[in-house]
Amino acid sequence: MSDIDVMNTLAGIAPDSALAALRRQRPDVVKHLQGSDDVIFSPSDDGGLTRAERAAAALRIAELLRDGVLDAHYRARLTALDPSGTLAKTVTGEAQITEGRWDAILAHVDLVTRGPGSAERDDIEELLAVGLSSHAVVSLSQLISYVNFQSRVLAGLRLLKGGS
Amino acid sequence: MTKPMRDFTRGELEWRPWIAPLDLNSATQEQLVALKVTPSNRAVGAYSLVLAHDPEALSERSPLYNGIMFGAKGLPRAERELGAVTASRVNGCSYCASVHALRFVQLTKEPDVMERIQKDGVEADLEPRLKAIVDYSAKLTRDPTAITPADAAPLRAQGLGDLEILDLTHAVAMFAWANRLMQTLGEPATPAREGNPL
Repeated sequence: MSDIDVMNTLAGIAPDSALAALRRQRPDVVKHLQGSDDVIFSPSDDGGLTRAERAAAALRIAELLRDGVLDAHYRARLTALDPSGTLAKTVTGEAQITEGRWDAILAHVDLVTRGPGSAERDDIEELLAVGLSSHAVVSLSQLISYVNFQSRVLAGLRLLKGGS
Repeated sequence: MTKPMRDFTRGELEWRPWIAPLDLNSATQEQLVALKVTPSNRAVGAYSLVLAHDPEALSERSPLYNGIMFGAKGLPRAERELGAVTASRVNGCSYCASVHALRFVQLTKEPDVMERIQKDGVEADLEPRLKAIVDYSAKLTRDPTAITPADAAPLRAQGLGDLEILDLTHAVAMFAWANRLMQTLGEPATPAREGNPL
């Protein structure tokens, strides 16, 4: 486990600040929020959904949420994992998506981010049909849900930071 | 884009998965640990068995959830549940809303609050403190980038300090997560045994 605290980094919270101390009043939240970030983006067993694909999916969500800080964060992570920039171009629409599996993944990211209740059984069937394992479908669902969670925590931390 | 909201004031719904839950008999040790399955406790719900396909994520999410909803002091537990119900209502998750409406009522003995939210949604007329909590929760759920430091003022005016605002933020955010998992990996189902008409 790394010493980095991703939420403090994203919200611009210094480790010795009052807001960092406030967050430490919820030690389980600090620990397992970072822990979730670690296992969602750098799992020991990726279940067939690669780290680069995970970063790319997160970048897509950051774009949909129009959060510049999250966008830069996931773009940097994706660049490190996919220096060719191929996945990044498909996320931003600069390149045509020609692969059914990745197309289905991005479509699902968009669907669930925009409308949390929009998914139907057929959407999950589609992911399985293009070759995702049950593990990968659950991992993708956790990832989409986590980045949406993360954006709300970030908004609250910015609110607290601005008001102090 | 959300589906019609069911009545969530009349008890818990069941949840039907869209992908095959893990078969406990073929579970790995890591999956059993993530599920906290022991020889004396094999009662695991379908939702947890679906999430156990990714045991690493489940192992972190469960204690995170507990820390957010049950951590000592700070925002009263019932008001964290109110944040959860508001997020679930905005996100159209009747399963989550029903579970957490029930918890709110158990903690407060005030079914009236949940009946009002069922009837009028997150615009319901509530006492000022609850109204401030619902307003912030709904805005944070709908569009996190629209939140500004000014949104803290109505909460502070109702006596919420920094820790309480942090707790509420965590609870609402947790349901941005839970509502998406619940509505993506399966759907609510009416328990047949009660003949529930919902």
